[in-house]
Amino acid sequence: MTSFLDILLGGVFHAAVLFLVAAGLQLVFGVQKIINLACGSFYALGAYTGISAVTWALAHGLPRGLFLFALIGAGLGLAVIGPPVEALLRTVYRRDEAFQLLLTFALVLIIEDILRMIWGANPQELGNLYMDYGTVGKGALTVPTYNLLVIAAALLVAIGLGLFLKRTRFGRLLRATAEDRETSATLGIEVGRVYTVVFTLGTVLGTLGGALVVPTAAASLDMSVDLVVEAFAVVVIGGLGSIRGAVVGALTVGLMRAFAVSFVPEMEMLSIYLVVIAVLIFRPAGLFGKAAA
Amino acid sequence: MPTTRRTVLKAMAGVGLAAATRPLASYGASGGQTLKIGILAPRSGVAGTVGECGLRAALWAKDRANASGGILGRPVELVVEEETNPKDTIQRLNKLVLQDKVDCVQGIVSSGVSLAMGPAAEDMKALTLFWDGTTQDGTEESMPHARYVFKSTDNECEAVMASLLAIKYWRGKFATVAGVNPDYTYGRNNWAAFQALLKRFGVEHKVVAELWPKVGGLDLSSHVAALKAAKPDLVFSSMLFADLPIFMKQAHAAGLFETTKFAFPAAGWQHTALKNDFTPEGMIFGHNTLYFAYPNASPLQKEFVKHYWDAYKDYPNWEAERAFFAFAAYKSAVEKAGKAKGGAFPDKEAIIDTLEGIEVESLGGKARFRKDHVADQIFYQGFTVHDPRYDFAILGNVEVRSAEKLQKPSGVTFKDWIANGKIEI
Amino acid sequence: MKLAAVVGLAALAALAAAPLVLEPYPLTLLLQFFAYGLALLGLNLLFGYTGLLSFGQALFVALGAYSAAVCTRKLGWHSFELVLGVAVVTAVVVAVPVGLLCVRYVSIFFGMLTLAFGMLFHSFLFKFYTVTGGDGGMLVERPSLLGMRFSEMDKTTFLTRPFYWYALGLLAVGTVVMWRLVHSPFGVHLSAIRENPRKAEYLGVEVRRLRLIAFVIAGVYAAVGGTLLGIRTGLADPELAYWTHSGNLIFMTVLGGFSSFAGPLVGAAVFIFLQDSLMSVTQYWRLVMGMVLVVIVVLFPRGLVGLAQALRARVIGWRRDARAD
Repeated sequence: MTSFLDILLGGVFHAAVLFLVAAGLQLVFGVQKIINLACGSFYALGAYTGISAVTWALAHGLPRGLFLFALIGAGLGLAVIGPPVEALLRTVYRRDEAFQLLLTFALVLIIEDILRMIWGANPQELGNLYMDYGTVGKGALTVPTYNLLVIAAALLVAIGLGLFLKRTRFGRLLRATAEDRETSATLGIEVGRVYTVVFTLGTVLGTLGGALVVPTAAASLDMSVDLVVEAFAVVVIGGLGSIRGAVVGALTVGLMRAFAVSFVPEMEMLSIYLVVIAVLIFRPAGLFGKAAA
Repeated sequence: MPTTRRTVLKAMAGVGLAAATRPLASYGASGGQTLKIGILAPRSGVAGTVGECGLRAALWAKDRANASGGILGRPVELVVEEETNPKDTIQRLNKLVLQDKVDCVQGIVSSGVSLAMGPAAEDMKALTLFWDGTTQDGTEESMPHARYVFKSTDNECEAVMASLLAIKYWRGKFATVAGVNPDYTYGRNNWAAFQALLKRFGVEHKVVAELWPKVGGLDLSSHVAALKAAKPDLVFSSMLFADLPIFMKQAHAAGLFETTKFAFPAAGWQHTALKNDFTPEGMIFGHNTLYFAYPNASPLQKEFVKHYWDAYKDYPNWEAERAFFAFAAYKSAVEKAGKAKGGAFPDKEAIIDTLEGIEVESLGGKARFRKDHVADQIFYQGFTVHDPRYDFAILGNVEVRSAEKLQKPSGVTFKDWIANGKIEI
Repeated sequence: MKLAAVVGLAALAALAAAPLVLEPYPLTLLLQFFAYGLALLGLNLLFGYTGLLSFGQALFVALGAYSAAVCTRKLGWHSFELVLGVAVVTAVVVAVPVGLLCVRYVSIFFGMLTLAFGMLFHSFLFKFYTVTGGDGGMLVERPSLLGMRFSEMDKTTFLTRPFYWYALGLLAVGTVVMWRLVHSPFGVHLSAIRENPRKAEYLGVEVRRLRLIAFVIAGVYAAVGGTLLGIRTGLADPELAYWTHSGNLIFMTVLGGFSSFAGPLVGAAVFIFLQDSLMSVTQYWRLVMGMVLVVIVVLFPRGLVGLAQALRARVIGWRRDARAD
């Protein structure tokens, strides 16, 4: 029983991080109809920046126990790259989707080398810092408290996003723009401003995901391309443009991987691709999506 | 739509550009008679630190050689290209050999790449000394009689040594085993070697888990959870890339170390990242051919370790020794063959003949190339301790074995050697 | 039309003469160009003419390389003609079911579905190592060309002489065939589908069937390119199927100009030589390539060919203005 819980918690932790990145993807797609191949790159950027932020903060007197705030700060602080990147993407909004995809692909290449330039080619990590928060449970079922914190954070973000989209004025503006760009514009909504905010929000979700995961793992240049495939799987399974879909998709992918690793290792990634293909064929809108083929 | 003259001209310009291109990533003296050694090493990703370490050692060896007049009076220059995946690395090899016209190629760290590159190098008649990689079963199939390629010690040496140590010290103290090995050739070979040896020496055991984390995968929580669920007495892991410290961290966080024994034949690549906080004592820990803190190290090794610390504020892993050995062996072979010819620079065939059977003083001790082009070196493994001088785990008592006792002799298959060969614990 | 033929023949002659003039290394780069040129001709049929952006074309390139490996290494069939045949048949056998599933969708869904299939194949190649050789890949042995083995030649000479000309021949034939295809009623229908699928359907064009045919043809071209790559490197490895490889294929197409016939060929040539030169000069070649892609996508969406045509038009305009004065 404890082993089942162990695997479950591992899967949920992975799902929490995936959700953050996928939610960013969903937001941007839902409103701007852009698929951001560079979502993995933002994730990596968040991870590397998180490490630097924590190292700097600790060296300047931040008590060890507060490192989580340095991470969150790094993730949120990277919001500054949102507007310029969005401005670049804006140049190809009206064009064929292929160009948008290609532009984000170019970003993947560029950001990877920027990461390489600033942080070097070797993986970076934060040692055992996250264990400062100790573990929960005892004996066979011990979970690092930090992991639970991350899961809680993702949950908060999910609820917060949901409330934001449904209850706030800006959220409603967002949903209106997503539904119908032209009509929204004629109704006086500054579509350009909405786009900038949405893209930045999507970016921050990605960088936050990277920053939060890095203490338990490491930051490496390969992160960016590897994550894209998983993030896409989440988005396809959950349905393009749906935050609820991101939650369900992330849980599906995270748990499937966790159980596959324990019971059917050869099928680890294969199972995910098969599910993606099955969903795309039988229910292309995904479980909660709106856009049909 | 019709093409225009311009587009064709552009294509031709591209060709001209390529013909005129010269490499910029070269280190060392320039000048007419320079001896060029091509280096293929990973520069980024999960093997990045390893490639960097090897490259640093190669640079040190080259500088040392140049300081004493070069090789047979010719200054040495290193031309560095990146080792990535097999297909792209072969292209870089093409460039080194066909365009840069290097006199010798050294490098390669990944078994998968070396398996693919070996035949390519043989085909091009390019004198190549592999630093690492080379799994013996694969090369038997693809390079039965290597002439131009010299291989490192068999992949399995470290696994064999770790297995023998586990049997020697822990026989009777474990009933269940689990394997956590990187999902590629090297990982599979190591795990197979461990199991074969347990069987050979009649050590009763039950395999309760076999995990294959993706190379370079940074999320190992599922694997740690699966491992915990299986409750093994002994965990054998040949993990060696940057994912190893992550695994240790997560395993420690999950409470895995309390009652389990660990045998990690290749952990030395990441030794400085395996901090005392999360790396237990009493682990069988392999440093392959270079243990930086070996008490009875040669003056050469001590000099190198000091240089490495002064220059990089870090401690070298065994890749440095592999790189040094390749350079030193080549240098020695060229000088010996040249002396036999009255001082003139020897041709490739003469160098190869001299390399076969050559013995040099490498960082980790005396090292040789067998006649069948496989290296014979000294291996260092031991049990971890926490020493206040270092924030990462080092070795307590160090066991030293020669590769002669750890790898199969030529002419025999690995399976036969494990089952019937002369192996002592 | 005539200009195209003249230019094409001139390029062919120049490329055929190259082995007499160039060093071996640039010739190996040209071999890569031949391989990618074929793959891109196929991709452009799918993307430029039919409007379907496939992010999994690398699957077929890998399929071609692995077919060559299986034939020459596992089955001992060294006739290159036989290898090509096997690659083509394999490509069709895979492309038909995959295509049937994928062409039901367009744009993003098509792209994602093809990406998923490509990665599925990559996973398969990696995980089922007893069959595929896993991360080390599978070796590809030297084939015989039209029955001739050339065993006295070393690999480099083989690659830069007989194999070079054979590959050039394949590219030439492939180009002519593709030219006829896109200028046939089939090609016209494809363009109609790209512009306005509903209208095309209304006019009696069987949209799905034609898309499937385009998909299969693209797959076949990619597989042939893949065999050339496999023989040149001597290896088929799983990274050939990774999604970023598909991304590079699209990059090359757009770089050259996907709305023109010769665009992809130009794109392949420029990409290969540019990347190779950059790799020797700087560690940060990805940054430069990324910026080149940004410039193309934002400023020159019709690629280098489009740029050249625009310049040509402008020059003609100037000349006309000058004459008018």
